[in-house]
Amino acid sequence: MNGAPRWTAVALRLRPPPVAIAILFAALAGGALVLVSGQDPLQAYAEIVKGSLSRDSLPDTLNWATPLVGMTLAAALPLRGGMVNLGGDGQLVIGGLIGALLPLVLPGPGALVSIVALGAAALGAGLYAMLAAWGETRHGIPMLISSLLLSYPAVGVTSYLARFPFRDVATGLPQTPMIPEAARLYTLSGPLNAGSLLIVAIAAAAIFVDRRTVVGYELRMRGKNLRFAGYGGVRLDRQAMRTMFASGAIAGLVGAIVVLGSQFRFIDDALLSPSYTWSGLMAALLVGGEPAGAILSALFFSALQTGGFAMQRETSVPRVLTLVLQAIVILFLAMRQGVGRRAS
Amino acid sequence: MLEIEAVGIVKRYGGLVANDGVDLSVDRGEIHGVMGENGAGKTTLMSILFGLQTPDAGEIRVHGAAVRFRSPIDAMAAGMGMVHQSFKLFGSLDVWENIVYGAEPRRGPFIDRRAARAQVAELAGRHRLAVDPDATVGELSVGERQRVEILKALYRDARVLILDEPTAVLTPPERDALFGVLRRLAAEGRTVLLVTHKLHEAAAITDRVTVLRDGRTVAVLRTAETSARDIIRAMTGRNVNLIVEKGPAQAGASNLTAVDLTVAGAAAKPVVDRVSLTVRAGEIVGIAGVAGNGQSELVEALVGLRPPDGGRVEICGVDVTAADVETHRAAGLAYVPEDRAAVGSALTASAADNLAMGFQRAAPLARGGLINPGAIAERAQALIRRYAIRISNERVAVGKLSGGNLQKIVVARELSHDAPVLIAEQPTRGLDIGATETIHARLVAERNNGRAVLLVSAELTEILALSDRVLVMFEGRILADLAQAEADEESVGLLMAGRTREAA
Repeated sequence: MNGAPRWTAVALRLRPPPVAIAILFAALAGGALVLVSGQDPLQAYAEIVKGSLSRDSLPDTLNWATPLVGMTLAAALPLRGGMVNLGGDGQLVIGGLIGALLPLVLPGPGALVSIVALGAAALGAGLYAMLAAWGETRHGIPMLISSLLLSYPAVGVTSYLARFPFRDVATGLPQTPMIPEAARLYTLSGPLNAGSLLIVAIAAAAIFVDRRTVVGYELRMRGKNLRFAGYGGVRLDRQAMRTMFASGAIAGLVGAIVVLGSQFRFIDDALLSPSYTWSGLMAALLVGGEPAGAILSALFFSALQTGGFAMQRETSVPRVLTLVLQAIVILFLAMRQGVGRRAS
Repeated sequence: MLEIEAVGIVKRYGGLVANDGVDLSVDRGEIHGVMGENGAGKTTLMSILFGLQTPDAGEIRVHGAAVRFRSPIDAMAAGMGMVHQSFKLFGSLDVWENIVYGAEPRRGPFIDRRAARAQVAELAGRHRLAVDPDATVGELSVGERQRVEILKALYRDARVLILDEPTAVLTPPERDALFGVLRRLAAEGRTVLLVTHKLHEAAAITDRVTVLRDGRTVAVLRTAETSARDIIRAMTGRNVNLIVEKGPAQAGASNLTAVDLTVAGAAAKPVVDRVSLTVRAGEIVGIAGVAGNGQSELVEALVGLRPPDGGRVEICGVDVTAADVETHRAAGLAYVPEDRAAVGSALTASAADNLAMGFQRAAPLARGGLINPGAIAERAQALIRRYAIRISNERVAVGKLSGGNLQKIVVARELSHDAPVLIAEQPTRGLDIGATETIHARLVAERNNGRAVLLVSAELTEILALSDRVLVMFEGRILADLAQAEADEESVGLLMAGRTREAA
């Protein structure tokens, strides 16, 4: 554009990392909000940083990051291929419920039981996610819709199961009985458990698959140009089914990790109220599904959200500020990408 | 009396010059044809006349006075009306609603439905454009929808009616009815601009024809004094006749065979109508035809991108009729698609990634499911050197390349498959002479190496220069199978226009 002001041209030539600019703008806008409400923005930000990155609070941040990074990867995988999985919630609770129920009935050594439970959770949720891909490839139901709609019955049915047939009658709450201690995930330190290591392994695997495998290459090409991938001989239907299975399996695994590692039972709504699915989807969208970037943005969101709790405790600024910051960061990044795309 | 003029119109899209000083002058009450090959700049010129695009240079004059159309609203106010190739109608609304949309008769703040319906019925009756004002547009036939489009323009009292390839979607009786309507409109003093590349249509209905080539006006012909041959000559241009050195064909086994291949279309008539063809090793078979006569659909069915509705396809003896692209490629197919940007490449991906497609599963690029980035880069560098692709390195995204270099990426990749069958669709569209020559030489080299080459092109000169045999496709059917010696511009040109009797 000829009419664009000079400073934008200069800024474009310098190419500062877009993420840094977005965070800066978000901090300024958020700071203005805090100022208007009569608080000290610097103090609020200091509390966020202290509450998320100090030695005492870092384990909490990482514990919060475990499911968030997991759900980010679950969203990033299909996004990399230009598909969207909006059914993370459903896949999460299916995995969580399987993880909570199997240890109650399976005999055998605890470690083995927890591994079987994790595997079954991944398998169940993966197959459920694949249903959405099947609906698209076979019956032309857009996956964007089917994955979201399939989420509601999953959430409803698991909720019913936890409230009625499998309810822990000893408590008055809608939750399943506690799983035996032997079957719980190994505790590393404080709130951190073996589940976090599992997510680290999955994250590493996702980056490796994306960069160094045929599957990753074909998925990237699909994301860049669906028709090119099809013309080049990639079997698009199978690829969609496989990708959605992997995505759902990760989501199911996250559900089971939270149940087996932190909550030790399936508590109705406990997996959904932190809205990992949606934070994860946003983190993945920010970077177009590129796994390493998605993981970084998920870690950033975890720090922001954990720091938000601390800020709310220490100052009178409500935690909702961190959600505002998160939203502004995303809007700024989306705007830059959108502008770039239209120019091409 | 002059109705509308375009003087020295220039329009560039990036590096591509779509219109390069086009002149057009149309009299009141005239039916004026605008003809030219694909990419000659017809559609761009019409978009400028209707205010969809603004020219970079040049001027539009209505009744001799210069005007500036910033949008179609300006153009409509100046009396222009356009019937697009793909109709712009609301399928779920009634005919009268579509016609009055944006110019509704009102009673206070409300639409005066009764007046609107009456006006539409009166207009349809007056112009003998039979259509029920209360029918839902989505349920109408293509011909009826076109009448709605014309009525929409007439409702706004368009004095100049632009029709972009209006007969492409019509059956012959519908086409004749349309021509009747256009003649009546011209008789009452309206002006018709008809964009077409069908010779017989231009001959049947126009008073004069303006021929565009490479974005320039090359001829303005009075139809009554012009032969089809003159128009062909103006459209293709003798001076671009490329000479390709090649010896006689040493045709071998039938590598690609299609029998009674049929692809159904949206209309009752199939888009590909029982096409049978054979391409043998060591020969180039060219499919000539005006774009939109089923060539694209035929190729899609041959390569596995569109399952055929009837017939059979064999590649090197393997029946691949209903199989997917992967199976076709495994049987021995390489394919240079018509649209290098939308199908043949991923513009945001690197040259290395683009050149690897189709080779990603086998050694040396991959082993045991793991790709070898070193081998991918090396392969890309080798191909970039061999095809003299102008790119700084293989990590650059191919969207940054010129059309010719992007096409070289696609051709380099497909030829390196060493597949027995090569299908090349519009392989030199939009390329300059140098890039065209390179690609022509490669195609002939492939033929001499014993590959079966099927060349689909809307450029008659290209077909005639390269092909050992020429098939002419018209309205979904193969009208003729000519040996190179029998195929000349005149006979093939007439067949392309569907005029079998005169060509014989």
